[in-house]
Amino acid sequence: MESISFTLQDGLAHIQLQRPDRLNAVSLTMLSELQELFERLGKEQAVTGVLLAGSGGNFSAGADLNEIRHFTPLEAIAFAEQGQKLCSMIEGFPRPVLVAVSGYALGAGLELALSCDYILADTTAQFAFRELSYGVLPAFGGTQRLPRLVGKAKAKEMIFTGQLLGAEEALRIGLINQLFAPEEMLVKVKGQLQQICSYGLLSLQLGKEVIDTGYEINLAAACKMERDAFAVCFSTDDQKEGMDAFMEKRQPRFTGK
Amino acid sequence: MGPWQLLKTDIRRGVGTIYLDNDQRFNTLHRDCILELRDALKVLEDDTDVGCIVLTGDPGESFAVGANIAEMKDFQPLDGWKFSQLGQGLFDQIEQAKKPVIAALNGITMGGGCDLALACDIRLASDRLKIAHPGAKLGIITGFCGTQKLPRIVGRNKAKEIFMTAGTYSAQEALRMKLIEQVYPAAQFMDSVRVYAEQIAAQPRQALQLAKKLLNAAENVCLNNGQVMELGAFASLFPRAGTMERIDDFFAAHSRIDSPE
Repeated sequence: MESISFTLQDGLAHIQLQRPDRLNAVSLTMLSELQELFERLGKEQAVTGVLLAGSGGNFSAGADLNEIRHFTPLEAIAFAEQGQKLCSMIEGFPRPVLVAVSGYALGAGLELALSCDYILADTTAQFAFRELSYGVLPAFGGTQRLPRLVGKAKAKEMIFTGQLLGAEEALRIGLINQLFAPEEMLVKVKGQLQQICSYGLLSLQLGKEVIDTGYEINLAAACKMERDAFAVCFSTDDQKEGMDAFMEKRQPRFTGK
Repeated sequence: MGPWQLLKTDIRRGVGTIYLDNDQRFNTLHRDCILELRDALKVLEDDTDVGCIVLTGDPGESFAVGANIAEMKDFQPLDGWKFSQLGQGLFDQIEQAKKPVIAALNGITMGGGCDLALACDIRLASDRLKIAHPGAKLGIITGFCGTQKLPRIVGRNKAKEIFMTAGTYSAQEALRMKLIEQVYPAAQFMDSVRVYAEQIAAQPRQALQLAKKLLNAAENVCLNNGQVMELGAFASLFPRAGTMERIDDFFAAHSRIDSPE
């Protein structure tokens, strides 16, 4: 892997975008490498959670303009499809995926972040969609995921104006969930992910799936889907262990079964 | 009214209040409690003295904390399915009720208790609120619509954080994420809730009922259909004596303000 790096520690996969001299611009190589890695991690039983981050003080400044500027329309479609496929794969990943943003999270970089379960950032973070100023559009699902997260009007404001949003503002509008000091962010985020992954992995997976799927269908149908997923929990060892531990006032030992 | 074992009710100045009172430290939403709630809601909904319904755990420590784990721990999948169905039936009833239902969150609100609050039209909280969805710690997800309603209220990503971390949030945090509409100091909590609810109860009933219907529908129908429904609802309020009088009053009041001496 030349554009990303990856370590696995105590079940947590830590993926870093590694093109710091190019502000971690999303290249075709990076897209393929991320896709291969997420495919591989999805099959690894040992992986309980994923943390996505940048390097060199930035998350990602967006698509690599050197690569895309001479695209034909057909090449552009192939590129957008590949990006959308990766983002859907991250969103549908069976384990929790958190993203920690420092510095720039622009365009395609922000779209990668938007496909994670939620975004955490430090005070240096800056967010924007500047595609319109190059005469193009966000195409990795940004025009669809952003309004679902911050509301239609705020999404239009960001995409129409291309303005850089500071971390405080991003927190206020709900683009990010939490804000940290730069020196403590990675420790705090890893701690949070570890905490999450200490719970029953099956119920986390079911929860993630019913939230994502249910958000796209009408409420009545979504609640029925939740009911069925809830019932499935009572066929797992994790439910027995979780509730026994609660009754016995001890820490549960979940096995993900 | 009643007699109920697990709750009390009263009616004052147009506001019908249901006080959850399990006679235990925390109000759990077990089967009998859900059945009594359905029953009491129906009574208040049908009572012509009531314009607005309040649901609270005051003066106890909790609003509600969800299911009784001692009971639930030995559930088979089918028991889980039936329990979920029972709870969702109550929440449907709250949403379909002709009158607004306000959740007055006096204290600890967790799991199914949080879902009960989400089913209400408006959430008011004491500054002592502690709200959480700790199902992940028990190896389950909620079956009371929380995974569906919470994202629609606080956004998908915040909802995922709440479920995944199983963290507990304060009244101020809940207000910031728009999970609740108002926070009041604990000492004046129920007084503040009553003032708020009386104001709603004083609104014309027909208009209130239609507004609730339309706002609920707005989540599920496309904009064009929603607008057509709005037209029909608006038209149905004319020409009613009450509506015309209120319009006359409004113009009379404004002409007094607008016209110079």
